[in-house]
Amino acid sequence: MNDNMNDNVIVSDHPLDPARLRLLASLADTIVPASADGRMPTAGDMDLVGHIQQFSPEFLTELPQILDCFDTDFPEQDLDDRCERVKVFSEAEPALFRRLLSRVYACYYQDDQVRTAIGAGVGAPFPRGNEVAPGDLSLLDPVMNNPITWRR
Amino acid sequence: MALASNAPVDVLIIGAGASGAAVAYSLADTRMRIVCMEQGDWTRPSEYPSNYPDWEQQQGGEHSIDPNVRGRPADYPINNDASPISVVNYNGVGGGTILYAAHFPRLHPSDFRVKSLDGVADDWPVSYELLEPFFAANDRMMGVSGLAGDPTYPAKQPPLPPLPLGRTGETVARGFNKLGWHWWPSDSAIISRPYEGRDQCKNLGPCTSGCAQGAKSSTDITYWPAALRAGVELWTNCRVREITVSDDGMASGVYYYDADGNEQFQGAEVVVMACNGVGTPRILLNSTSSQFPDGLANRSGLVGRNLMFHPIGFVQGLFEERLDSHMGPQGCNFLSNEFYETDLSRGFVRGYMMQVTRGGGGPFATAMQGAATGAIPWGPGHHDAFQARFDHTASIGILCEDLPEQHNTVTLDPELVDSDGIAAPKINYTLSDNSRRMIDHGVARATEVMEAAGAIEITGGGPARLAGWHLLGTARMGNDPATSVVNGWGRSHDVKNLFIVDGSIFVTSGGVNPTSTIQALALYIADTMKKNLANLFD
Repeated sequence: MNDNMNDNVIVSDHPLDPARLRLLASLADTIVPASADGRMPTAGDMDLVGHIQQFSPEFLTELPQILDCFDTDFPEQDLDDRCERVKVFSEAEPALFRRLLSRVYACYYQDDQVRTAIGAGVGAPFPRGNEVAPGDLSLLDPVMNNPITWRR
Repeated sequence: MALASNAPVDVLIIGAGASGAAVAYSLADTRMRIVCMEQGDWTRPSEYPSNYPDWEQQQGGEHSIDPNVRGRPADYPINNDASPISVVNYNGVGGGTILYAAHFPRLHPSDFRVKSLDGVADDWPVSYELLEPFFAANDRMMGVSGLAGDPTYPAKQPPLPPLPLGRTGETVARGFNKLGWHWWPSDSAIISRPYEGRDQCKNLGPCTSGCAQGAKSSTDITYWPAALRAGVELWTNCRVREITVSDDGMASGVYYYDADGNEQFQGAEVVVMACNGVGTPRILLNSTSSQFPDGLANRSGLVGRNLMFHPIGFVQGLFEERLDSHMGPQGCNFLSNEFYETDLSRGFVRGYMMQVTRGGGGPFATAMQGAATGAIPWGPGHHDAFQARFDHTASIGILCEDLPEQHNTVTLDPELVDSDGIAAPKINYTLSDNSRRMIDHGVARATEVMEAAGAIEITGGGPARLAGWHLLGTARMGNDPATSVVNGWGRSHDVKNLFIVDGSIFVTSGGVNPTSTIQALALYIADTMKKNLANLFD
């Protein structure tokens, strides 16, 4: 326990302290910002840590290494500057960046609001299912009129 | 569950996949004691990824089609380093049918006569006409959806109406029509209507990681329940190491490892191998003895040789209009046999089928694929690029006939072993010039289709790496013991009570997904065994 903590502080088991959580949210917002028309939310508003804890907890051990690559004032930078910084990181650590990207996209595209906006249906495919139009089998008419072509 | 006993059983089947299930069901008529050993277990539909919101990520891990990635206890490693195509499989009750796309065309009549018709490879000792009643029986047993009347096949009647074309199918079909080329709704082992107690397909999408709905006809929910009711015993988590032979040269039983990893022996009067074109030669080559120093049933030297895949080319088209790419059975929409038969002016012999699929993955796969190709950036611009692609793609697979070549082999890896210490298979495979030219031709023709259909961006290539779905030819059938491993009804030339019923007995590959033909052959072999029970070993 930190020596400066007093007995009234509630100790959390959250894997990131508030500053690093803010940094991660800013990174996610840089990777998937909100759309200009406001229809698509930013990935920075999503519970990325909770998603990682639930679906890919092994990635938690890599998070500190990623966050260490960014200055603490990263969240204060404007979007262009943050994009430039992330681009530098992606080129220096391509495998690590790909894993971060994968986690951000996985979290983002499981979100109900996002899935509704893109027409993907909310939640798991089963038991929901999807409606697919039967299609127009009259398109087969020219094929049906062809002679038998199988080779004896 | 293993009910181990040293008392010999009448028939011991190794492998509970497509062919093992069919042969077990058919032989159950005999009321013999039939035991099937399966190295994996039952898979619960509730475990399939489509039950979960992270289904797309699960497809890349423990539910991967790649056994080397999946790495479950039932899986054995496969050394693909010397092959441009990697083996895909599933080890468990149902075998490859758990993960297959369920695209279910039959081989064509000409596929059984390639030597006579085109002067290449060899003719089969069986014909389409001989197998036709077994194709039909298998369609009924599995539950096949399709449309009668395809002019590129002899008449056939699928028991269920076709799966929906959807907007994706309609769009690409118009391209085929503009070119005047053949296309037809695919025969699919996915039920389009309630059938035999199973509910119909509801277009979940991710068929290749198991069907939570139970609409895809995997043998764990088709043949196996019927075979078990008829008295067949299915022992799961039993991995066969080798088949033993007695002094008279007959198969006498198997050594296997039970669920606890303990070595066991089980005697048998008849052994039937149903382990696919990699698993079967693996066990045979591992079954050495003084009588068979080069592997069981291998006096021809052909066990493990003539490995055939179907090299697969692929073309994806991007369309301005929204399709329904991520919905519905991914691998089953329609097919084209326009370039199936030989036309030497194309620069190759034999041909290929075009398999029109739904085209796109889910949102996560779309975003990740877009990141890999640069088509969908992260950061500003992500949303516009994503929405221009998600549900806006259609795909065509080019499934090329792969001709047999003896240098394409399955052998035993000198170092790699499975969790029981059994040598793993090693694949040595090179793509022939004929296959290369076929892929190039197919990619060019599929590109024409996409252009005719109105695609605004077209990409393609091949052969696809992780596409070794079809494992064929490594214990080929034939009438001559010098040039084949089994005879015309699956019996080993060298070991009279050893039968092989899986894809390893294919003489040539044809250019279609093989499961329908594998199962028809298994039913035919079982039927022939039943007709010859009195003199089965003569």
